[in-house]
Amino acid sequence: MLPSKGFDTPFLESPDTLETQRTEHPFSFQTSKDKQLNAVIVDAINRMGGVGDDAEESYRHALRSLTKWGPGVLDVIVAEYDDLPEDRYLDRWSLVQLIVELRYPEAVKPLNRIIAARIPAEKVKKSHDMSTVGEEVMIRTTAVEALVRLSADDVAEAREVLLKHAAHRTFSIRRACVQGLMQTGTDDDKRKLRRLLKERKEEGLLKIKQVDVVCCPASSKERGPTP
Amino acid sequence: MASCTYTVPDKAASGDNFYGAVICNQVYVDYFWNTYGFSGNKAYWDDGWGWDDCCNTSKPLARAFNGCYALTYSASDYLNDSYSAPILNWGRRYVRENIDDLRCFCGDGTAIARSKSGGLVEVYLGFFYSKDVPGRAETLIHESRHQGGKPHDANFPSGSVFGSGKSGADSSWDYEGAWMYGALYLWWYYATGARTTSALRERARQRGNLVIDNAFATHPGFSI
Repeated sequence: MLPSKGFDTPFLESPDTLETQRTEHPFSFQTSKDKQLNAVIVDAINRMGGVGDDAEESYRHALRSLTKWGPGVLDVIVAEYDDLPEDRYLDRWSLVQLIVELRYPEAVKPLNRIIAARIPAEKVKKSHDMSTVGEEVMIRTTAVEALVRLSADDVAEAREVLLKHAAHRTFSIRRACVQGLMQTGTDDDKRKLRRLLKERKEEGLLKIKQVDVVCCPASSKERGPTP
Repeated sequence: MASCTYTVPDKAASGDNFYGAVICNQVYVDYFWNTYGFSGNKAYWDDGWGWDDCCNTSKPLARAFNGCYALTYSASDYLNDSYSAPILNWGRRYVRENIDDLRCFCGDGTAIARSKSGGLVEVYLGFFYSKDVPGRAETLIHESRHQGGKPHDANFPSGSVFGSGKSGADSSWDYEGAWMYGALYLWWYYATGARTTSALRERARQRGNLVIDNAFATHPGFSI
């Protein structure tokens, strides 16, 4: 049995070995021959993970560079999303997050397609702390967030898609659509939503509120960890 | 002994590319190594895992250090790790008080990390390569909570992405288990995380909501 605190005696045989290979970025850009645009997309995604006091400003600067191409950039982003292997979840999420930031009304159709796409069956069924279905759901709830922002920008088509996916088979996606529409929809949208939820006997979704961490009793841990 | 391989993109949204430049400093390396359970476990972090190349963010050790950096410095007033402050402040303290040994393995692809007896936490390939940087901090907090004496005490609810009816959930938010600690950390990271981007904070929100929606037998009744 191993002691509770390890020691640095070299092992005669190492427990596990790992070999890593490095690639420049995860994208293929098979449909985009504009090398400058491709580089700006890679830079924007790279800066999503920035750190330091200037991280957000550097990220915003990269996004501003991207907007110079206009809504046409969506075609490239969506093509990359489609081309990435299914299991590159974080990379696929990062492309959807770019769509969130760009706030182009032309994104409604591809966002609808991303949310509506069938979620592949769970690949790690024996796990309790990882879920490929969960990764897929986060991609889709981020797409919902893009629609919520477009709805706030008064894009009616975005609200229609939110209403449609308020009946999605996955709970988190339904919950995100309901909250987004209640926050940004018109009175008519909210009336339609309530009717839909009543028909589906899911009015309980309206009770799940988005809460500010600073004022929520559930988030304050001022008594520290409990035994 | 197992052997594993992984292909790592240099420029991606995980955050490693940028954190790597920051943690490549002997002061941080020494602090993380001695504080978060690496010390005494060199043999595990050798042979491709990065012990001899600890600034190389393609390799697991630097990516673990990146998670440690986020854990340590994401509160704007990071010097305050009092338990009377938010978890963004004291999460690092809780990890260092509960993880004695942090060891890396290839794993079989069915877990990100596991808590073993006696302060030992094992982390697997998914910890380094499928989790973004704040997500690794969340995992360390989750596993620390197990070390702190809180096992999962319920089955996942119907429709959960983690598997309806499977064991591994927490009964409620008020149980204050590992899922609650992880979600709470992500919540604060989203709301007030410093030295990061709005994109990674949004990622924390999405992950936190996924946990809130799917990892408690009784839904907490709120979201981030």
